[in-house]
Amino acid sequence: MGLLNNTLPDIAPVKGIDAAVNWGRKSSLWPMTFGIACCAIEMMAVYAATFDLDRYGAGVPRATPRQSDLIIVPGTVNAKMAVRVRRLYDQMSEPRYVIAMGACVCGGGPYVKWGYNTVKGVHKIIPVDIFVPGCPPRPEALMDGILKLREKISRQAVFARRAETARLMDGRQA
Amino acid sequence: MDEKALHSKLTASGVGGVGELDESAKDPFVVVEAGSLVAAMTFLRDDPDCRMEMCNCVTATERADAMELAYHVSSLSKHHSLTLKVSCPRPEGGDHDSWHPEVPSIAGVWSAANWHEREQWDLLGVKFTGHPDHRRILLPEEWIGHPLRKDFVYPTSAGEIPLELDAIPMYERDENAPAPESTSERKAGEPLTQPPAPFSSRPLASGGKTCEPDAPKEGDH
Repeated sequence: MGLLNNTLPDIAPVKGIDAAVNWGRKSSLWPMTFGIACCAIEMMAVYAATFDLDRYGAGVPRATPRQSDLIIVPGTVNAKMAVRVRRLYDQMSEPRYVIAMGACVCGGGPYVKWGYNTVKGVHKIIPVDIFVPGCPPRPEALMDGILKLREKISRQAVFARRAETARLMDGRQA
Repeated sequence: MDEKALHSKLTASGVGGVGELDESAKDPFVVVEAGSLVAAMTFLRDDPDCRMEMCNCVTATERADAMELAYHVSSLSKHHSLTLKVSCPRPEGGDHDSWHPEVPSIAGVWSAANWHEREQWDLLGVKFTGHPDHRRILLPEEWIGHPLRKDFVYPTSAGEIPLELDAIPMYERDENAPAPESTSERKAGEPLTQPPAPFSSRPLASGGKTCEPDAPKEGDH
């Protein structure tokens, strides 16, 4: 879709196509199999039968970044891990989304002052779509994060050149 | 056997440099001289009455006047354990950069001590002479300093990875912008890391094994 990205006029038929594409994207998220620390335990609970993330179409974690479009970063990111997180994110194909799960990933958490080796939030490394705070967040909180991400995806402009998108893109080109 | 019996066994064994048993602590310990550490540990492992099969942990504590190492060893078959301590006095003006206390490695007595000693080198800068694979274990290879030392200066970045709370995200960096003001003691822009030496040139005493590739490729992490 690269050629037509945000180039068509913002009119009803184009909006309809956008809505259809967004519906497809948000209903079949492919998360990456990725866990760093204790938040990953809660994340596993969300994938498992009790909470069942498959109800939102995001229940089959892929074992490679090349097949996934969602990376949930669950756990403390330290200097050694940050290089790997960055590399995994770079390998994902677009559109890609990032959920920062837990206090450490949202801004350092308990390591914010004396963590000599901790990246104070994964948003220093990769752009984050949804922040889920908590230490660790309850499974319901992560599910709410997924729902928020679905809302965000459904608002995206894919083909239509919306006013705010145009402003952003023009600003970036200037 | 209790600690008293173990201590008398150890002193009667002919291994020199074994101090008195300190029973004032909740966990009684024996202070051993660094020179006789390996001999004492080998005796504790091999003696049929001691039979210390397991090295639980090797820890270090930085004190004002010394670096104190504690070794917890225990026997699973005899159900007893002993704590040994080694003290390395701090020389005049010995600080983070200049002072790396040296202790003989016991990785040859219990191979479990190998990673424990690497961790003490990584975090507190204790050198273990005769260690088969004396490298960092937790922090990045190119890290400078030992972060659990009292005079460790907190870094602002590790390579290109920002470590400060108010750091600019990597994907928003502007190459032309002036360096941001830093609140940390280390000046902004001052590098924490030095470029890592090629893996082949790193010394490995007595042929320790490594899982690293032979030569790093360009752009490889």
